[in-house]
Amino acid sequence: MIEPRPRLAFFRPSHRVRAVDFLFLLPVLAILVGFLFYPLIYGVALSLHDTKGFEPTTFVGLDHYVRAILGDAVFHRSLLNTFLFTGVAVVLLTGLGLFLAVLVADVKRGAALFQFVFLAPFFLAPVAVGAVWKFLYAPYFGVAATVGSALGLDTLTVAPLAESDVALWAIMAAFLWRFAGFNMIVYLAGIRALPSEYYEHAVLEGASRFQQFRRITWPMLWPQTFALVLLTTLGTLRIFDMVWVMTAGGPSHATETVATDVYTTAFRFLQVGYAQAMAMILLAVVLLLAVVEYRILDRRAEAVRT
Amino acid sequence: MTGLPRIRSSTALLSVLALVWLYPLVWTFANALKSSADIYRAPWDLPWPPAIGNIGEAWSRGQLGVALLNSTYVTAMTVAVVLVLSITAAYSLTRLRPPARAVLFLVVLAPLIVPTEVLIVPMFSIFRSLGLINSLPGLAFYNVVGTVSFATVIFAGYFRTIPQEVVDAARVDGAGRLDVLLRIVVPLARPGIVTVTVLVAVFTWNDFGGSLVLLQKPDVFTAPLALSRFSTFYATDQGLTFAGMAIVIVPPLLLFLVLQRGFIQGLTAGVVRR
Repeated sequence: MIEPRPRLAFFRPSHRVRAVDFLFLLPVLAILVGFLFYPLIYGVALSLHDTKGFEPTTFVGLDHYVRAILGDAVFHRSLLNTFLFTGVAVVLLTGLGLFLAVLVADVKRGAALFQFVFLAPFFLAPVAVGAVWKFLYAPYFGVAATVGSALGLDTLTVAPLAESDVALWAIMAAFLWRFAGFNMIVYLAGIRALPSEYYEHAVLEGASRFQQFRRITWPMLWPQTFALVLLTTLGTLRIFDMVWVMTAGGPSHATETVATDVYTTAFRFLQVGYAQAMAMILLAVVLLLAVVEYRILDRRAEAVRT
Repeated sequence: MTGLPRIRSSTALLSVLALVWLYPLVWTFANALKSSADIYRAPWDLPWPPAIGNIGEAWSRGQLGVALLNSTYVTAMTVAVVLVLSITAAYSLTRLRPPARAVLFLVVLAPLIVPTEVLIVPMFSIFRSLGLINSLPGLAFYNVVGTVSFATVIFAGYFRTIPQEVVDAARVDGAGRLDVLLRIVVPLARPGIVTVTVLVAVFTWNDFGGSLVLLQKPDVFTAPLALSRFSTFYATDQGLTFAGMAIVIVPPLLLFLVLQRGFIQGLTAGVVRR
């Protein structure tokens, strides 16, 4: 006699079963509602009100947004700096990460050591990185000052972070130092997963190493480029800590980013509602850029996958 | 034929770059062991004899010892909460069938594109009315929100590689959902647990924005916050400040050194999925 098959209730989930499945999601949803969605809604409300201390008082509609977009030169500067910094960081970090990855992939011995050296700064606190680089740029004992002076140049009093023309790019150098290793490691995993037959075939056909890079490596790594461009954009638009520690937005707003502007406006000048309106504009920019980049990049990434 | 090992051009170029990359760290550790006068007078000299006193003074007078304890506490709490939340969430989203699964997945991913910086003002306001300012558990929750999404994404990636048949077979044999999670899913995702632990720990340890806004009393300062106050307060004592930087830099560096291999594998698997 044939045994009756067990009833597979699991495969035909009833509402009760699905409700239990949902229970496993409940903790994370509770945290997100309490500490993300509620603050988000509260933030929208704050941005539409004048505030006393940190409490909303009179409703002012979109006044704060209009003022930020039309009449605030410092906010315009911080938006411009944020865009400029993010754009340059995306290009340089992608390029530098790929360059390092190609080199490390080519090395026979010591690849693990190189990986460690380039990735190590990624693990350091931005505050510590900022502090270290602030000292590297310091007059009298910093590297810029002492190296030049050792070469006989008059650089002992050079202070890049105090010059409004170069301060933002001095911060960029520290930023690249911290993040290049992360991009390298992602690209490196991609390169190592590429089928070696492609390269063997290319070599047989007489392709130069540059041609191999252009025709095989670069197009095949598009999914990595896609992920890294998106991650770098989202991560850089919010930049706060390294800038705050190195220049606090100065000299005279030359390195002001939206995040430092929001912090100063809210916690130094106590214009809380207005600061939150600027934060919401930053959020809108982040969402918009994420969607646009996703659309553009995903089309090409899809072509590589298929 | 020449008997000399041929050094590849990549190796040579990388070695130069590696020295450039290492320089700021070596320089920091060297200066941490110098007196301020020597930092100015002889920037190229080796720190010999080492001014060990800097480290001790930064530890006690700069309150970095206390700050390291606070950071450890916040980090441990954040990691524990994130692991529980993200494992259960990823399990439900990939191996169970909650209603409206696709929508819920998007909800869980929302923090990935909503930077916590955007929420810092309303969070301060809310935390203040809840009495969570100067509270280390409060700061831990702030960090949980910032990290729980990518932890869930990483775990979802691991859980998807576990064949559904394995899970179903166990369920048919009478194992409950929690049994399956603890006996099958979690053991198979062990490399993911290492990755998430390291990433969340480093992220939390390094956080500055949250601490800056949510902590105001020096006795609850985290290490990065203490360091930032420290370098303003002792701005004229460079040796001491360098020592403070060295103290804050070392713990995450050690963690990375110990868990390097597993971390790199997990990270690269999590970022790009084909």
